[in-house]
Amino acid sequence: MRVYLEFAKKSFQNNMVYRMDYFAGVINAIVMIFVNISIWKAIYEEEEILEGVQFKILATYIVLSFLMQIVYMMDEYFIEAKVRSGLISSDLLKPIYFRLYVFSYHAGTMIFKLVMQFAPAIILSIFLFKLLPPFSTVMMVCFLLSAALGYLVLYNLNFIVWISSFWFYWTFSLVTIKDAAVMIFSGALIPLWFMPQGLVNFIKLTPFDSIFYTPIRIYLGMVPADEMVSSIIRQVVWVIVLFGIGQVLWKLGTKKLVVQGG
Amino acid sequence: MVFIEVKDLVKEYKLNIRNKGLLGSIKSLLIPEYQLKRAVDSISFSIERGQTVGFIGPNGAGKSSTVKMMTGILVPTSGSISIGGLSPYKDRKKNTSRIGVVFGQRTQLWWDLPVIDTYELLKYVYKIPEKIYKSNLEMFSEMLGLQEFIKQPVRQLSLGQKMKADIAAALLHDPEIIFFDEPTIGLDVIAKEKIREFIKQINKEKGTTMLFTTHDMVDIERTCQRMIIIDKGMKIYDGSVEEIKNKYGKDRILAVEFSQHYEKINIPGVELIEEKGNKKWFKFAKDKTQVSDIIHLLTQKYGILDLTVQEPEIDGIIREIYQGGINLHESLSRVC
Amino acid sequence: MREYKLTELLVIFYKYSKISLKTTLEYKFDRMLMAFAIFCREMISVVIMLLILTRFLHIKGWELNELFFLYSFLFLSYSLFVFLFAGIRDFDGMVHSGEFDRFMTRPLGLLFQIIASRIDLPATLGHGIVGIILFMNTAFSVGIQWNLSNIVYYIVALIGGAIIQASVFMLSSCFSFWTLKTENLRNLIFFNARRVAGYPISFYPGIIQKLLIFVVPFSFVNYFPAQFFLRKDETYLFWSGYMYLTPAVGIVMFILVYLFWKIGVRNYSSSGNSLY
Repeated sequence: MRVYLEFAKKSFQNNMVYRMDYFAGVINAIVMIFVNISIWKAIYEEEEILEGVQFKILATYIVLSFLMQIVYMMDEYFIEAKVRSGLISSDLLKPIYFRLYVFSYHAGTMIFKLVMQFAPAIILSIFLFKLLPPFSTVMMVCFLLSAALGYLVLYNLNFIVWISSFWFYWTFSLVTIKDAAVMIFSGALIPLWFMPQGLVNFIKLTPFDSIFYTPIRIYLGMVPADEMVSSIIRQVVWVIVLFGIGQVLWKLGTKKLVVQGG
Repeated sequence: MVFIEVKDLVKEYKLNIRNKGLLGSIKSLLIPEYQLKRAVDSISFSIERGQTVGFIGPNGAGKSSTVKMMTGILVPTSGSISIGGLSPYKDRKKNTSRIGVVFGQRTQLWWDLPVIDTYELLKYVYKIPEKIYKSNLEMFSEMLGLQEFIKQPVRQLSLGQKMKADIAAALLHDPEIIFFDEPTIGLDVIAKEKIREFIKQINKEKGTTMLFTTHDMVDIERTCQRMIIIDKGMKIYDGSVEEIKNKYGKDRILAVEFSQHYEKINIPGVELIEEKGNKKWFKFAKDKTQVSDIIHLLTQKYGILDLTVQEPEIDGIIREIYQGGINLHESLSRVC
Repeated sequence: MREYKLTELLVIFYKYSKISLKTTLEYKFDRMLMAFAIFCREMISVVIMLLILTRFLHIKGWELNELFFLYSFLFLSYSLFVFLFAGIRDFDGMVHSGEFDRFMTRPLGLLFQIIASRIDLPATLGHGIVGIILFMNTAFSVGIQWNLSNIVYYIVALIGGAIIQASVFMLSSCFSFWTLKTENLRNLIFFNARRVAGYPISFYPGIIQKLLIFVVPFSFVNYFPAQFFLRKDETYLFWSGYMYLTPAVGIVMFILVYLFWKIGVRNYSSSGNSLY
C-alpha cells in the first residue's frame, strides 16, 4: 500500500512543476464560471423563475459543475503513452497492481487539484458568485459521497477508453468523442431539467448523469429523501459495472500484450 | 587557411531552481528562483578547410552548445564565430546553405514516407541543380547501399539504415562543412564501420570540413585528425589523437599464455592485473621498462605459448582525464 | 547563394504540401476518425446552444439561427487558419522535438518552414464542417442580401479572422523561445475564449466585452462581422466603426506579434536532448 501512496505523492508533486498551467487553471475556471453565469443571466432576463428554479440556484449549479470539472480532469493519455513507448511491459513486470498504480497516479493529481485549485476557487466563488451553501449538513455529507462516486464513475468510464490504446495505439479520437458525450449528457454545461424529456429518458439509461448531475442536485437539496438512496445506489452500480468492463478489457489487453511481446 | 574562427565564445543559460520536498515544490511553484549557468566559458579555436575535428567531453560539458552556436541554432552570450567570414546567426540563411547537420538522435527524414521523398524535397529546399543532385545520389547510393531501402518508409528502416539515409540527406547539397552530432550512436559494429569509412572517403574526395561530437572514441580515432576536449565549458585539450595517446597512454598491457600453470611470476616493474587459466595479463610503464627485457626474462624462465602487447585504449585515457586522474591544465599547457 | 525567388518559394511550399498530404493519406482511416472526433468536440457548444434555444426560443432578442450564423464565423475562420497555418499552432511541439533546430540549419525563412511543414486536414475538416453546417442552415434565413459587396465583406472578414487567430497562437508560441511550456495555457485561453465568443458579447459584463475587443480580439472574428449583416437592435452598444476593422486588427496584431517573435528567436535556447 505504501508504494501506491508514494506514486500518488509523486504525481501530486509532478503537478507543481507547471506553474503557468497551475495559475491558468484557476483563472480559467473563474472566467468560465463568470461567462456561463452571464449567459444564464441573459436567459433569465425576462423571467425570475424558470422550471421552478431560481436564478441563484442555477448559478450555484454552474459554479459547482465547473469546479468539479477541474477536479475531475484527468491525464487522458497516461496509459497510451506507456503503451506506445513500450514502458507498459516493464511496468507489468513490476510487483505492483498496474490498475491500482494508474489509479494512485490519478488520485495524486486529483488531490493536487482539490487542494491547490478547487479550494482557492471555491473560496473566490463564494464572494464572486454568491455560491449558495449546501442545502443541509446531511446533504453536504451525501454530496461529498456522491461527488466521490461521480469521480469514480468518470474514472472507470475513462479507463475503458484509455485501455483501448492496447489495440489502437492512438486514442485521441476516442477520448475526444467520449469527452463530447460526457460534456453534453452529464449535465456539466446545462442541467438536465432544461432538456427535452426524450433526451432525459435516454440519459437515464446511461452512466453520464451519475457524474455531475446527481451530486450537484444533492448539494442543492433537489433530491427528495426517498430518492437519495436509489440515486447513490445507481452511482455505485455504475462504478461496479464500468469497473467490471474495464477489468475484462484489461485482462484481454494484457493477454494480447503478452502474446505479441509488447 | 583558417576557415572557422571561434573567439572567446560564451553561452549562459538561466536555470530554474527547484526546491526539494513537498513544501519546497510548493514554494518553487509560487516563487520561482533562477540561477545562471555558464555552459560555454570563453572557448577559442580555429579550424582549417578540409580538417576533421572531434569534440569530446562528458555530458553537460558544453560541446553541444558550442556546436549549436556554430550551426546558428543558438546565439552566443558573447564572443564571436566566423565561418568563412560569415556569422552563423546573423547570416543564418547564407551560412546554412553551405553547412550540413546530422543529429544522431533525431532524423530529418519524413517519418511515414519513403526516404526518396525527403531527398526530393531537400532538392528544392537547397536549390540543388538536377545534375549535382543526381550524381550525388548515385555516389551515395553506391557507397552506402541506399538503393536497398530508398523506397521504404523511414519508420520501417533499421537504425543503421536510417543513419545512412540521414547522412546522405545532409550531404546532398555538397556542404562545405558538415556537423555530426553522435553519428554512430546505438549502431552495431558493422554499420558503424561502414559509416566511418564513408565519412572518411567524403572528406578525401570532396574536401569537406567535418566536425564531430561523439562519445564513441573509436569514431574519433578513425575519422578525426584533431581532437578538442571540453570539460565544464572550457577547452582542456586541443591537438592530435596520437599525441594524447603517446603522452598519457604510458601503460602497456602484456598478455601471456603459458604452457602450464605457474603460481607466482616475479619480474621487476611489472604488475599482474588479471589471470584466467594459464593466461595472465601484466601491466607496465613503457618508458620505465623495456618490453624486450620483459619478454627476454619470461622466455628464459617459463614456457610460453603466445604473447601480445596491447596499447591502451583511448577510452580509458579520456575517462581518466574526466575523473581528474590526468591533469591536462598543467601538463598540456604548452599544447593549448 | 542568391536569395529565393517568389516562384521558387511557391514551388517549395507546394512540395511540402504534397508531402504532408501523402502522410495524411498513409493513415486515411485514422485521420478520418480524427476529423470526426474534432467535429464532435466542436459540436458540444453547438448542441448546448441548440438545447437552450429549443427551450427558451430566444436570448436577449437573438434567435437560434442568428446565434448559429454568428457562431459559423468562428468555425469557418478557424478552419481557414488551421488549413494555412497549422505549423504555428504546432510550434511548441516543434521546439520540444528538436524539429525547430533543424529548421534553423536550413537556408529558408523560419516562419516559412513552420507554416509549410504542416497541414492538418482533420482539424480543417472537423471545424470546417461544423462551420458549413451552421452557415448553410442560417445564411439564407437571417435576411442577408448576398450581393457582391456583401460576399466580398464576408470573405475579407473570414481571412481577417483567420489572421487574428493565427496571431493569438503565434503569440503563445513565442514563449517557447524562453523554454516556457505554454501549450496547455494557450489551448485553455484560446478554446475557452472561442467558446465565450460563441455568444454575442452583449450578453456579457463590460470587462469580458473589453477583453474580447482589446485583449483576445475574438469579437472581430465573429461578433462585429455578424452584426454588419444582422444589425440587431443593440448596434448602439459599440462604435459602428468596429464592424469594418476586422482585417486591420488582424494585420496590426500579426505585425506586433511578429516583432515579439523576432526577439524570441534571438533568445532561443535550444532544448533538444542534450542541453549543453
